[in-house]
Amino acid sequence: MALKAPDRARCTQALDDLLRRCDSISVAMLALRDGRPYVERPAAKVAPGKFAAMASSLVALGHSVLRELGAGTLDHVLVDGSEGKLVVSSVPGSNGLLILALLARHDARLGLVLGHAKSCANAISATFADERAPA
Amino acid sequence: MTKTYKLLFVGEPGAGKTTCVAAVSDIPPLTTDVGCTDELADLKETTTVALDYGELDLGPQGRLLLYGLPGQARFRYMFDVVREGLLGIVVLVDATCERAATNLRETLQTYAGELRSTPCVLALNKHPDPPASLQQQCQALLTEHGLVAPVISVDARKREDVVRIFELLFLLLEHGTDGPQDDEEIAWL
Ligand SMILES: Nc1nc2c(ncn2[C@@H]2O[C@H](COP(=O)(O)OP(=O)(O)OP(=O)(O)O)[C@@H](O)[C@H]2O)c(=O)[nH]1
Ligand SMILES: [Mg+2]
Repeated sequence: MALKAPDRARCTQALDDLLRRCDSISVAMLALRDGRPYVERPAAKVAPGKFAAMASSLVALGHSVLRELGAGTLDHVLVDGSEGKLVVSSVPGSNGLLILALLARHDARLGLVLGHAKSCANAISATFADERAPA
Repeated sequence: MTKTYKLLFVGEPGAGKTTCVAAVSDIPPLTTDVGCTDELADLKETTTVALDYGELDLGPQGRLLLYGLPGQARFRYMFDVVREGLLGIVVLVDATCERAATNLRETLQTYAGELRSTPCVLALNKHPDPPASLQQQCQALLTEHGLVAPVISVDARKREDVVRIFELLFLLLEHGTDGPQDDEEIAWL
């Protein structure tokens, strides 16, 4: 099946908008499902390749665990740490191609981060333009 | 309580790690494959992004817990997730691939430290009779990376071959691999 191609400039715009609206989110990344970086704003502490790989592992494990437990489909994976929160989810409408990973401050309100993640993912899914593979 | 042994498969994308775990596991395997989005798609549809997991019953000897890692170096951190209590590591190589030696070099570069501190076996896969030149190249690459490991030929989809790997690793663990003499003896089994 042909992969729908997202528009990189509009994806970048969507991440920038998100970071502007929510100052408790420090890093926003879009990765391809097999763990390659697509867009990252701004640079995280880890190399983008590694961050993208970790995000794809988390989503894949989330899917697998839910499948094994008969617990339905994945909405997001939350990794809640003492110094930060990581929320990772698939971008709807991207045919599972894109993964959105957001790193927020540890004191960020989870509901707020999830809400912003959802609206950002929706904005990105609206950017899928044509049937080309991503550049 | 049943004794369990943890076996880890590493190796280039397409070496056959996921196929192996799925083929020999007694339980439905855990897979974390997703559709490839790069050139790998020309070779196969999916690639592993977290890990494979399966189990193999060894009878009175216990149970073998099988873990497969993703093949790309960017997933190297997954090693830390599974490293605890490993019996050994199997470096799987697609012996039919013309880039086999180059691929092996990449794997060895990625996991050299881990391979030096854990018993390991290099298993040439997918080829019924791997050419002697490839076996020699593999040995040379191992030596180049300061590694000592037997190079064997397997069909990783066959249970008996995975059991053979287990037995070999068990021997290595019991008798060690230090010293060039051992290296000579087990160079080709
Ligand atoms: N001819 C032949 N093909 C095999 C054999 N074992 C596996 N294959 C094929 O080779 C490919 C191996 O793919 P995987 O098992 O996904 O390889 P992998 O090592 O898990 O790869 P990554 O997860 O991408 O790192 C599949 O297309 C298998 O059908 C074999 O013994 N002989
Ligand atoms: Mg695999």
